Amino acid sequence: MRILPVLPIVLPLAVAAVLLAGAKIVSRVVVDAVSTATAAVVAVASAALAWQASGGTLVSWLSGWTPIGGTPVGIPLVIDTAAGALAAFAALLVCAALVYSWRYFQEVEDFFHVLMLLLLAAMVAFCLAGDLFTLFVSFELMTVAAVALTAYHTEDRGPLQGALGFGVTNLVGSFLALTGVALLYGRAGTLSLASAGAALAGQPADGLVTLAFVLVSTGFLVKAAVVPFHFWLADAHAVAPAPVSMLLSGIMVPLGLYGVARVLWVVFAEPLAADLGGVLVGAGVLTALVGAVLCPAQRHLKRLLAYSTIGHVGMLLIGLGVRSVDGLAGLGLGVVAHGLVKAALFCSVGVLLNRYGSVSEDDLHGRGRDFALLGVVWAACGLALADVPGSGLFLARARIEEAAAAAGYGWVAGVLLIVAVLTGGAVLRVAIRVFLGWGPPDAGQDPSEEAAEEEDPETTGQRRVTALVMVAPAVALAVAGLGLWLVPGVEAAAHTAAEQLHDGAGYTEAVLTGSSMVPPAVSPGEPIALSSFMLAGLSTAGAIGIAALSLCWHAAPKGLRRAVERPGLPALNTLRRLHSGHVGDHIAWLTLGTAMFGGLLAAAMR
Amino acid sequence: MMSGLAYGVAGFVLLTGLWGIVTSRDSIHLVLCLSVAQSGTYVLLLAIGYREGGTAPVFQGVPPSAPAVDPVAQALALTDIVVAAVVLALLLALAVQAHKRFGTRDPDELRALRG
Repeated sequence: MRILPVLPIVLPLAVAAVLLAGAKIVSRVVVDAVSTATAAVVAVASAALAWQASGGTLVSWLSGWTPIGGTPVGIPLVIDTAAGALAAFAALLVCAALVYSWRYFQEVEDFFHVLMLLLLAAMVAFCLAGDLFTLFVSFELMTVAAVALTAYHTEDRGPLQGALGFGVTNLVGSFLALTGVALLYGRAGTLSLASAGAALAGQPADGLVTLAFVLVSTGFLVKAAVVPFHFWLADAHAVAPAPVSMLLSGIMVPLGLYGVARVLWVVFAEPLAADLGGVLVGAGVLTALVGAVLCPAQRHLKRLLAYSTIGHVGMLLIGLGVRSVDGLAGLGLGVVAHGLVKAALFCSVGVLLNRYGSVSEDDLHGRGRDFALLGVVWAACGLALADVPGSGLFLARARIEEAAAAAGYGWVAGVLLIVAVLTGGAVLRVAIRVFLGWGPPDAGQDPSEEAAEEEDPETTGQRRVTALVMVAPAVALAVAGLGLWLVPGVEAAAHTAAEQLHDGAGYTEAVLTGSSMVPPAVSPGEPIALSSFMLAGLSTAGAIGIAALSLCWHAAPKGLRRAVERPGLPALNTLRRLHSGHVGDHIAWLTLGTAMFGGLLAAAMR
Repeated sequence: MMSGLAYGVAGFVLLTGLWGIVTSRDSIHLVLCLSVAQSGTYVLLLAIGYREGGTAPVFQGVPPSAPAVDPVAQALALTDIVVAAVVLALLLALAVQAHKRFGTRDPDELRALRG
């Protein structure tokens, strides 16, 4: 029993070390099998922990250093349902990505598997960490492993540039987070999340506490790619190998939001009780709109998916920003549903790259006609992103909408509608153009776009045959993402997780006194309102409409086109020019964004 | 008084590093500026752990009640240094690779995509 909470962190680290030493002697099949099995074991162990934690938060003090007289002296791992479930989901995606890479890479360096397992260990440790420093170190390890994986193809320009921007931006973010941790330690005199929360309780936030919150959460929001900290994301996700992009978009980015939620409710719940104003919701809305607008403007498929991730992170941040249990439940459902769908899409892009040697929508036009199965996956994922009624993201969006309306942000529904229509529409457009070959072959709305540098496919020869193990994960992930709502008990589980994540006092009590409270009986979520169904129907129709419109836009009357394009294109191009890819610009925006975040928060607290 | 100065230095070093990153056109320079920015966090951690008149937190030969600086903050700084070593090595390896392959140290010349 004592071993179970440590297992999901220690096992991948140990296996990674053994693989690094032994991979030269054993064949690739063994490396593949061992690493995939490790990820599967971690998934099962984390799921078991999440299951146990649904009856009360679990606390595991490493090496048995339990608190002395209510003062923690050791390092705790704290597992509630949200932590365990996120760790299990991360391990599940790593497992899918490893299965996928059996055939994605014809030849693979051993360190690929080692880095994947390191990334897994870091993500799990980030979920289970009970003190600020473990949180920080695992956050840092996550960055290092992900940067190295992004730069896997060191022989190309794109990966080097993308990984450099990714690394530098995220590291500056983690310096800010560390500065915040240090300030918090100076004030609270402890690194344990629980006792820091207890030390700050009962007094209003002063400048130092506010600054510490701003710095810590900025670090996490950089990872979550919230505007204006998002500039690194598209560059990195577009150049990483497909199995890595699956993890970056599917789970690593939303984990940043989990970090913010954790410190917000455990440490800063009392000092910042009602003072956040609309700052987080505002950032969410901005992020959602930027991602949604830039998504359909892309022709490079991975970049298109990366911007869609930014749009959905904005939606999830709104769920966090309204600071209610319902919002958090929607956030949790959204992380899982979006992660599954996005992982399925990145899988499919990798298959396209392997089979046709390109990831450019214009190059691929009509070439997927002989691959109906993948076309169905794309179309299904496009519909899922458009919140087709009954899909996992639909459920998440409906819950976030309700929570936002309850907090007085009813208009947010309109923003979420735009995200669904534009991102879903963009993916559907790709599905139609690539797999049906409709529309003009070169419908580039923006001829000035630089040609996407061609990526070399990972396999050569016999390209027409696509291995089953490459398509199967895409199909399975897409089906899971669409059918999430149908899984019995998924809503109740999300509610339990949200309830526990929201209950910072219960967390503190469980850690400091060891009495894990049984969470209050969960009221199963009310049935989804009819208006949500109507909105989802509207967004699905809108997405199909956008896809159709972009296909026959060239045939539209000239006057109409000019009326839309004259104001629209320069605005879009200005927005795109801001995404210069220059690292210095990323950091300038990051600094400005941090200052604005702090300023707005200070203003909201007056 | 002394520690007020240290906090000022910490902020100054962090911002100097950031300014260097913002204006950098050279990937080696960029990574070194990152390291400068990180040094600001070391100074901050040490300043937070500092106790007026404290000795090093080694309790051999002195009574345990003797004033000492906070060992936790020092442990954090130490871990931070280890993390920084990993990160700098990784990013410098990318910079070296870029120079070997493409003969440039300007990250912008590597750009294949934008917008």
